[in-house]
Amino acid sequence: MKIMVREWHAIAQWRWDTGAADVDDDGEGDVCGICRVPYEGCCPSCKMPGDDCPLIWGECSHVFHMHCLLQWIGTAASKQQCPMDRRPWVTAERKVNATTGR
Amino acid sequence: MTSTRRLQKELMDIQTNGTPVGIKLLSADDFQTWYFSIEVLGETVFAGEQFALKFRFDQQYPISSPAVQFVVDDKYKAPEHPHVYSNGHICASILGSEWSPVLTVIAVCVTLQSMLASCKKKERPVGNDRYVLHAPDNPKKTRFEYHDDTV
Repeated sequence: MKIMVREWHAIAQWRWDTGAADVDDDGEGDVCGICRVPYEGCCPSCKMPGDDCPLIWGECSHVFHMHCLLQWIGTAASKQQCPMDRRPWVTAERKVNATTGR
Repeated sequence: MTSTRRLQKELMDIQTNGTPVGIKLLSADDFQTWYFSIEVLGETVFAGEQFALKFRFDQQYPISSPAVQFVVDDKYKAPEHPHVYSNGHICASILGSEWSPVLTVIAVCVTLQSMLASCKKKERPVGNDRYVLHAPDNPKKTRFEYHDDTV
């Protein structure tokens, strides 16, 4: 079956809040250092971006697709280190709405 | 296949942005084996020489490191370097225990280029002949010791 899209109206867009100062405007945004797919895309083993293919933050401030990082950390070769700085990987507590307080 | 998608991106980047000086893509006919030529610029012991690097990728790339070696055939020789065996195998931690999935093919080329550039004296690794005699086809199967004192 062949479908031709004649027109479309975007009604919303979303972006992971990576905490990075703003995305450089090269139109692509930031990519996961492991698979090189934008954060807003999904890792190579997923089909749908979004909550099913979330990001993971390290205390070292590096961000990856969760599935990409877990695949790496699961190997003996990783020595459980962050692929960027080789420091021991510690998953950061997500600062969801730092302003909400108790 | 995760390796293909990642390699497609790397290839596209090479085709749009080019390669660093002294490094050229010779062939990337599929997503299993790529070849690059590598030259060391400036005044080094390898001035005027050209080498070729062969990359082999498995399906887990970049989680698993590529198998990288210098090409040894009628046209190319392995550089005479204390970390490069005469069969082209390379003893470099970045290809083994220090591999990281955020590295790329080009990053590996650049690292090896600077490894050659810093070489002061042309010589083979200690035990070259013994190693070459029994070396596996794939250098990833070798457990290199990264310059340890023990024999």
